[in-house]
Amino acid sequence: MIKKHYLLLTILIFSTVLSAQPNCEAFKYYGDTTKCEACKKSMEISGHYQFSKEFQEILDESLAIDPTYDYAYRAKSVAYLKSGDFLTWKKLIDKAVEYNTIENLGYRGWCRYQFFRDYEGAIRDIEKLDSLVDYDIGYSANGDYHLNIAKALCYKALGQKKKAVEIIKKQLEVKVGLYDYLHLGVLYFELGDFDKAEEALDKQLKENKLTEAKYYLGLLSKELKEQEKALSYFREAKELYLKQYRLFDTYTHPYDKIYLEDIELEL
Amino acid sequence: MSACKTEEKVIEKPKYLRWVGDIEQDLTKDAKQFELCNTEAEAFQYFNTHKGFRYKGEKKALVETFNKKYRPLNGKKQNGWIRIRFIVNCKGEAGRFRVIQSNENYEEFEFDKKVVEQLLKITKSLKGWETLEHKGTAIDYYLYLIFKLEDGTIKEILP
Repeated sequence: MIKKHYLLLTILIFSTVLSAQPNCEAFKYYGDTTKCEACKKSMEISGHYQFSKEFQEILDESLAIDPTYDYAYRAKSVAYLKSGDFLTWKKLIDKAVEYNTIENLGYRGWCRYQFFRDYEGAIRDIEKLDSLVDYDIGYSANGDYHLNIAKALCYKALGQKKKAVEIIKKQLEVKVGLYDYLHLGVLYFELGDFDKAEEALDKQLKENKLTEAKYYLGLLSKELKEQEKALSYFREAKELYLKQYRLFDTYTHPYDKIYLEDIELEL
Repeated sequence: MSACKTEEKVIEKPKYLRWVGDIEQDLTKDAKQFELCNTEAEAFQYFNTHKGFRYKGEKKALVETFNKKYRPLNGKKQNGWIRIRFIVNCKGEAGRFRVIQSNENYEEFEFDKKVVEQLLKITKSLKGWETLEHKGTAIDYYLYLIFKLEDGTIKEILP
């Protein structure tokens, strides 16, 4: 039993990835010795699982040294986020945003979207961040999306599909993300612009094999009454699905994700 | 002084359990027949094995069940989130259901009992939970469902 418990802890400790570790000495360099001490205390979380009592207590001690230390609030908030405790998570992450707005606003916006589908709140945070900085606002916590793409998906969810298209197109001029063309293709498809939908979905398939891209190409062919072609896409979609080439997130379900039953209904 | 008090309130020392989100058994409300297969200290989170959310027929089947069974309370100001957290044991049985609720600003809120009771009843009736394994052993794991509600209607189910 002890051995099994040890294994459990071992795999979990490797998943305690947080935002970039702070440089404690930098606080001292800028004259904030209190924050430097709080920072050093917070570093003791290393090796503890983020859900654990020990992890939370160390960060409480860090906050007792400096109650304005944003990193500790944010680190504490993660377990509440992942356990779905929106009440505690929001209180903690709001404190992180209060004490270091620029570093935490984009992250809070992404979490609102990913874990709670709080589209309005996510847009507010991401747009606020954009208004505060003159550099690139960066990526989602899991690295899958630029925050502008996340923002576009939120606008789509609120029914503003044309606005979502424009945001994605603008972001694509800067850099192509993992699934950007898929979401653009689905948007064009839903707006009835089949030529642009096909072009975007094909581009997605050049980026990576993806069930969802094949599935939507199938739906598109079906709309164009090209039954054989549609069937072929759906078969390929199923094959990719079974080989795990599909949208996946360990914690939640990605936007525009397709389920096996969706494909099988078309076959 | 008042600013200090605000800080103290946020960082007040809570009594932590083993892990955030752990649910202690309470026989006054938990089904007596529900048991963990392993010890409490060995219960995982649903995402620890990196397999994601597992349900027979995937999330699509679960959403369809709620769409079929849930009766919305139209016209009522019922906005926010309801989380039902529970444990799935190594046999795929669920138990120890606990509820938290908030309004659309993440503030504590009490939804109409008809909303909460329906969601709880449907969640307890779900039979599609898949078992998860770690190193060849079936595990017990914590999971939750979050319902995002607008005017008493389910807009989203998470995760």
